[in-house]
Amino acid sequence: MKPKHLRTFGAAIFILLLLVPVFFKSTFVLHIYTLIFFYIALTAAWNIPAFGGQLSLGHASFFGIGAYTAAILYVKYGVSPWFGLLIAVGVSLLGGVILSLPLIRLRGPFFTLASIAFTEVLRMVAIDWRSMTNGSVGINIPFKPGFKNMTFTSGEPFYYLFLATAVIVVLLTYRIRNSALGFHLRAAASDDEAARALGVNTSLAQFLALMWSAGLTGVLGVFYVFYNYVMEPNTAFSLDLFSLQPALNGIIGGMGTVWGPVIGAVLMTPLGEFLRFYLSTIQQGLHYVVYGLVLILTVKFIPGGILSILEPLISRKKKDRDKPKEKEERS
Amino acid sequence: MDLYIQVLVSGLLLGGVYALISIGLNLIFGVVRIINFAHGEMVMLSMYLTFWLHHLYGMDPYLAAIVVLPVMFLFGVAFQRVVVQPILTTSATMKIFTTVGVSLLLQNLVLIFWKGDFRTVQTSYSMSAFEVFEIIVSIPRFVAFVAALLSIIILYAFLKFTFAGKALRAIVEDNAVARLMGVNVERHYLLAFGLGCAFSGLGGVLLMPFNAVYPTVGVTYTLLAFVVVVLGGLGSMSGTFLAGLFIGVVEAFGGTFVSPALKEAIYFGIFILVLLVRPQGLFGMGRGTEEVGLK
Amino acid sequence: MSLLKVKNLTKRFGGLVAVNDLSFEVSPGEIVGLIGPNGAGKTTVFNLLSGIHSCDAGSVTLGDREITHLAPHRRSLAGIGRTFQVVRPFEMTVLENVMVPALARNKSVAKARETAFAVLKMMGIENLADALPGNLTLAQRKRIEVARAMATKPRLLLLDEVLAGLNPTEVAENLPLIRQLRDQGATIIFIEHVMAAVMKVSERVLVMAQGALICCGTPSEVTNDECVIKAYLGEEDPECSL
Repeated sequence: MKPKHLRTFGAAIFILLLLVPVFFKSTFVLHIYTLIFFYIALTAAWNIPAFGGQLSLGHASFFGIGAYTAAILYVKYGVSPWFGLLIAVGVSLLGGVILSLPLIRLRGPFFTLASIAFTEVLRMVAIDWRSMTNGSVGINIPFKPGFKNMTFTSGEPFYYLFLATAVIVVLLTYRIRNSALGFHLRAAASDDEAARALGVNTSLAQFLALMWSAGLTGVLGVFYVFYNYVMEPNTAFSLDLFSLQPALNGIIGGMGTVWGPVIGAVLMTPLGEFLRFYLSTIQQGLHYVVYGLVLILTVKFIPGGILSILEPLISRKKKDRDKPKEKEERS
Repeated sequence: MDLYIQVLVSGLLLGGVYALISIGLNLIFGVVRIINFAHGEMVMLSMYLTFWLHHLYGMDPYLAAIVVLPVMFLFGVAFQRVVVQPILTTSATMKIFTTVGVSLLLQNLVLIFWKGDFRTVQTSYSMSAFEVFEIIVSIPRFVAFVAALLSIIILYAFLKFTFAGKALRAIVEDNAVARLMGVNVERHYLLAFGLGCAFSGLGGVLLMPFNAVYPTVGVTYTLLAFVVVVLGGLGSMSGTFLAGLFIGVVEAFGGTFVSPALKEAIYFGIFILVLLVRPQGLFGMGRGTEEVGLK
Repeated sequence: MSLLKVKNLTKRFGGLVAVNDLSFEVSPGEIVGLIGPNGAGKTTVFNLLSGIHSCDAGSVTLGDREITHLAPHRRSLAGIGRTFQVVRPFEMTVLENVMVPALARNKSVAKARETAFAVLKMMGIENLADALPGNLTLAQRKRIEVARAMATKPRLLLLDEVLAGLNPTEVAENLPLIRQLRDQGATIIFIEHVMAAVMKVSERVLVMAQGALICCGTPSEVTNDECVIKAYLGEEDPECSL
């Protein structure tokens, strides 16, 4: 349903992105790109429950579960992270089931609170369960390069891994949004009671959305821990990094849309890195002050996100072009 | 056996302060119908205020309440006017994001100005205690409990017997009808927010002699207050009070018999369990809970 | 055999008995009008039938299936369609609105699009398919509300004041619609305040007052019933209950 030239445009960007590591050898440039892909995928995964109007600030829980599961399996039991990935997704889904229990009763702000509380619980468990998680010291992934160990000597494999993941997750959210599940979620977000009266099992739809989201976020946790080599409770279950950041990207790009998360992550990740690096040297905490302000101002002035500004521009062109064709089809 | 009673007593004493903080939240929620994700930051700010009054001017933390209460009242009024009023008619998502944004802002402004150190107030009575029937009662905790109880009674009397209090209860009952009956709803929003903030702030003051303050301390109190309010029943004062005591006891037992690191995890677990078994809360649920998504 | 059997249905809100020991039956293919003064409990009956509220006592049977404690979406799937008094379109295009119920029954989006378009055509609003409901007139939005309910392929259709708020021309335009919906295979109960419409369209009329059924009969029987007249004039008569 996207106009054809937009699809061509997307394909062109994808090919250019494939070529980036060929021309740029700087590890910093690759790292920033990798991080952008990571956040595109994370935000897009976070956004699936948002199709149904559910705002989670607890995605760090699925992220941390995924990361810890794969890391523990690898470091303690020598399980290849690729196989650990499957188990990690399983455990993340289990986490999704637990968080969806309150979702049966709680909607809106109370679900958001429950999701924060859930992450806090996991963080405390990760700190307390020393025999498994090594407590607040965290887990280090030993540097043993090899595909089997998901450890590489250069940044390029992870560049492509995260690029592929981002593309897959975004296409997946596109599919979900335009499937029966997507319609049910949008209907539930708009008017839950009316949707149920029309035969939509909105609780099931919200549950499925959360499961998709939890599983994909778990995958990202696995990739991220092997990309970074270290994992400790306050990072893995960080409200700021993996719960608030995707939510912030989502609201700035356009929550509950397919392309909003992409726009949000592409804009916010480099900005976030810049702020983290430069402002933190001036003053610790300053970059979160900027984040807080951006959040408040976005909500106040462009509640639909950046996409809501862009969309009229794109769809006007689209309508002009599509109109005659549509009429032919119908008549 | 003695140990159990000992833990029970310290849990109840702490629970009194939790009840006070939560009642502030419940008042704001009941009247203004907003889930304020920055509620814990009010507690955090008043704890800092108490700390600085003690640190810079040598003011006794309890005496500091004379300054902290009016300041927090005005802060609440300003918060309602500047932050909350403009977003009252927007969607739940927008309200969440705005108050989360404010919470982030306050935490980090505090971090910038006052650094991330854990700060405590040392007084002559911080460590003192008395004994009743071989149960040791810490004096600051005892004072906190009694003061919390008194202020809850005062708030209750205010809501019950004064005109403004009755107007607040009318708004909780039915906003639209209260408006039709000539209650200036917006002005009472200011009052509710101011009072809610002041009472939660008093909780912060009372915690200060035996608790540390740091920039992100508020997150815990936000979650705690919501757990208490939901368990106690939205809009129910007595429910909130009992639930506050309950959570204090749970925390004390969890901290003593399971693991100090997991004490919060335990009451979150109970919170989720209660929601599944008895979604209306332990002590019933007030009106208007459906419109904010609790059913 | 009757399609809908309601037995001793009761609903209390706090101290208020909104629906009091209500019993009635509806035969397949009937068009039944449900009338009564404001606050009589008509919409509550619809909410109880569609499962939005759960009843405190009594039973509801659709065909040979008891549905008293079924969740709302299951009742819809069992064949109860309804509209809301205040129209509640989703924030999506008209066609997509009508696709939602179709997709609750068949996961194929392409098929749902066809079904939805067919329903819009039947309702004569296929030209609105790509419009957003927010930009339409009340009459148009009410039609969408009905179209959405029809896309559930209901055996029993509950219409809650689909004519209220329309001007006389629009009412006249929409009147034949109710018969047309019945011809599509739906048995209909409709709440209406536009009396002329009720008398013209319904084959049987149920009259409610203060939560109870006070009269039941053909339109002409009902208009001549003393209890009904008293109920509308606000007079209370303890003998006026069935």
